Amino acid sequence: MPKTDNAIELTGYLRQDFSVCLGCKICASVCSVNDISGNANPQDMLQRIFLGREISAGEPLVRSCTGCYRCTGACPWEIRIPDVVRALRHELKIESPFEKAFKGSVALFGRVYEPYVLMKAVPFLLKGGYIQHMGRWMEYMGFHLPHKVKRT
Amino acid sequence: MNVLIIGGGISGVSAAKVVLKECHNAVILENTPELGGTMAHIANCRIGFKTFYDEIKDDPRLRVIRDASVEDVKKTHSVFSVALTNGEALNVDRVIVAAGLSPYDPVEYKGKRVLTSLEYDARIDQRNGELPEDFDKIGFFLCVGSRSKEYPLCSSVCCSYTIREVKWTLQRAKPEISVFYNDLRLFGQEFYLEKIYRDAGVRFVRANSRYFEEDETGVTVRYFVDGELKEERFNYVVLAIGLRPNPDMKHLGALFGFSVNEYGFAAEKTPLTTDAEGVFACGGALEPMNIKDSILTGFGAGVLAVRDAGPLIAQSRDKGLLWDEEPPEIKMPDGNLASCAFYLGTDDPGDAMFYEYMSARFVEAARTLKQAGKTVYIVTKNIVMPSYDELTFEKARREGVIVINLEEGQSFAVANGSFAVKGGEKDLSFDVDHIIYFNDYTGNFEGREFLSVYRSEPQLRWNPTRWSRKKYHVGFLRHPRDKRWKPREVLGAIGEIILDREEERLYPTMEEERCSGCGSCKDACPQKAIDMTITDTQVSIFGPIVSTGVPKAHINEDACVACGLCASTCPSDVIKLPEQEQKIQYCTAPIPR
Repeated sequence: MPKTDNAIELTGYLRQDFSVCLGCKICASVCSVNDISGNANPQDMLQRIFLGREISAGEPLVRSCTGCYRCTGACPWEIRIPDVVRALRHELKIESPFEKAFKGSVALFGRVYEPYVLMKAVPFLLKGGYIQHMGRWMEYMGFHLPHKVKRT
Repeated sequence: MNVLIIGGGISGVSAAKVVLKECHNAVILENTPELGGTMAHIANCRIGFKTFYDEIKDDPRLRVIRDASVEDVKKTHSVFSVALTNGEALNVDRVIVAAGLSPYDPVEYKGKRVLTSLEYDARIDQRNGELPEDFDKIGFFLCVGSRSKEYPLCSSVCCSYTIREVKWTLQRAKPEISVFYNDLRLFGQEFYLEKIYRDAGVRFVRANSRYFEEDETGVTVRYFVDGELKEERFNYVVLAIGLRPNPDMKHLGALFGFSVNEYGFAAEKTPLTTDAEGVFACGGALEPMNIKDSILTGFGAGVLAVRDAGPLIAQSRDKGLLWDEEPPEIKMPDGNLASCAFYLGTDDPGDAMFYEYMSARFVEAARTLKQAGKTVYIVTKNIVMPSYDELTFEKARREGVIVINLEEGQSFAVANGSFAVKGGEKDLSFDVDHIIYFNDYTGNFEGREFLSVYRSEPQLRWNPTRWSRKKYHVGFLRHPRDKRWKPREVLGAIGEIILDREEERLYPTMEEERCSGCGSCKDACPQKAIDMTITDTQVSIFGPIVSTGVPKAHINEDACVACGLCASTCPSDVIKLPEQEQKIQYCTAPIPR
C-alpha cells in the first residue's frame, strides 16, 4: 500500500483544517479535472486519507490536478485541496521533473535559481524528445521578444 | 411603562401583544415602510402576519413609527432617552430588540434564472400573475451562505422553507423538481412532507453545487453523485439562502450597551435578556429561528419587559398549567471499546422527528469517545444540528470524528464486527467493536404527548406552546431539542397564558338532540376539540321503545379556538357560532408604573 499517512502533515496545515469538510461535494462540481475524467471527487479523496485508505498514483485527481484552487474558492470552508494533492504527489513520488527541480532549487538556494532548474530539467527535456520542438518554440516565443531594436 | 420595540417583524409584534395586554404603552420602531420583516417577503405568510397584527392594530396604546431608526440613546435612572433619525425623541423604560435576520445575498451566483429563495417566492406568488412559460424543471440548492467559514451557524429554516416552496410550486404547476441538499434539517412533522414529495416524484439528491452556467434558456448545473460528475439543465435554479444577523445589531449594541457575540447576534445573559439592564432580545436577534419560535421568544421578551417573571412562573406551575417532563435518560456507551459507530438513520418519518434531539446526543457521545482516543464514525442520513448546534458538530468534525454521509440509495449493513455502506459506486466497510443505532432509542419517546406530534401540522400556528387552555407544553414535551430552549419556552408559555386570560371568545353552540353523530365536525376540527360520545337514547321505530347508544358530538371548550370550521362543516346546522360580532376589548385601565 502506498504511503499516504503523512500527506496532511506535509501541507503545513493542521488535520482539523481539512477534517471540517461537510461532505457537500461542491468541490467536485467545480473541479476542472472533471472536464477530462468525470470522476474526480476531492471530498472522497480527503475522506479516504482520514480513513487511512489507499490512494493510487493513477487517480485522475492526483495525476491531473492543475492546482487552480477553484475547489477552495467554492468550498464553504475554504479547504485547500490542491495542497493535499501536491503532498500526495510528493508521498507517491510522482512529481514532474520541473516540480522537483523547482523544489530542489528552493531547498538549496532559498529561491528559484534558473541555472540549477535548467540543469535538473535538461536531462528530462532530452529524454522526452522535447528538444526537437525547441526551434518552433523559440520561433513562437520570439514573437514576444524584442527582435529588432532600433538604434538612433 | 413605555416599551420600545426595535423591529416590526413577527417577534416584535408578538412582544407588543403581551405588552399591550398588560396595559403598558408599546412603540414599534421599524426602519422600512412596511411591518412584517422577513416573514412578509414570503407570499404565503403575508396574510398570516396581517391577521396577527390586525388584532392589535387599533389599540390606542400602540404606536408604530415607520421609516426611522435609532440615532442616539442616553440613559438616566433606568429611563432611555432615544433620539430617532426622523427627529423625534422618545422616553422609554424598557427596550426589546427584535431586529430580525437579514437574508444572505449571493451576488456571485445570482442571475435571471439563478434565484434566491425569496426571489423565487415572489415569482410563484399568485399576485404576480402567471408563471413563466418554461417552468418545467427546477433545482433547489440548499446551504448557500450558511455553514461556512464566514458564517459557521446553520440557519435552521432553509430546509423547511425549501420543502414549503416545493409544496407551493406543486400547488400551481407540475414541474420536475430536484432538491440538492447537504443534510435535510427538517423538524417535527415536516419529515412526513418530505416523504409525501418523495413519493410524488420530487427527486432528492445528496450533493451540492456551485457550478451554475446561465444562458438565455436555462441554467447548466454540474453536480457529483454516485461517483461521477453529472451535467444537467434546469429552467430555474433556486438557492436556499442562509439567514444572517441584522448588520445593525453591532450599532444597536453600542447604543444600548448590550454585547453582541462573534457571529453578530445579541449575547444572552439570562434567557431572552441581554447584559444591559432593561434591554431584552427576541426572535432573529438571538439566533436564526423559524416563525413559531420567533413568536414564542417574542411573547417571552414581552413578559420580561413588563412583569416580574419569577412569581408568574411559580404561579403557573402551582396551577399545573406548564406541562413538562424530564427527558429520558439516554445511556451512551462508556469507554470500554476501541472503536464505535453511530448510525443515525431511520425509514420511519414519524421517528425522524427525534433526529434533532438524538443528533445532539450522538455528537456529544462521539466527541467524548474521540477525546478518549477511540475511533468514532457517525453514519448518517440527516444529522440535524440547527443554529448554534452546528458549532458543536463543527467541533466534532475538527476533532476527527469521521462522518460518513449516506447518499440517496446507499444503505447501511452490518456484519459481525464490521459495518458496510452499500450501494452507489463504492462499497465501504469498516471494522468496529460497537454499533449504536438510532432505532434503539426511539422507544424512549413512546407514549408521550409531544406538542409537535399532534399540533405541529405543517402550517403556521399562533399559539406556540398551547395544547389546551389548561396545558401549555414547554421543554422536552414541546419539541425535543437543545436545553437552551427550555427557559425560553417557559417564558413564552407565560406570555401565552397572559394573552389567553379573560379573552372574550365565542364558543360554538350545539343542539345535542338534533345531532346525528355523523362525525364530520370531528374530522374538520384542527384542534381535535370534538369527541364523539355514545349516549343512551330511548327510540321507538315501528314498535316498542328500546334504549340504544347513539353517538353525539361533544365540544371540549378548553381546546376549542373558535375557528368555526365545525359550524361550517356540519350538514344539519346543529353546531352554530353565535351571530354577534366579536369585539376586541382594549385595556382602558391607567398605566401601571
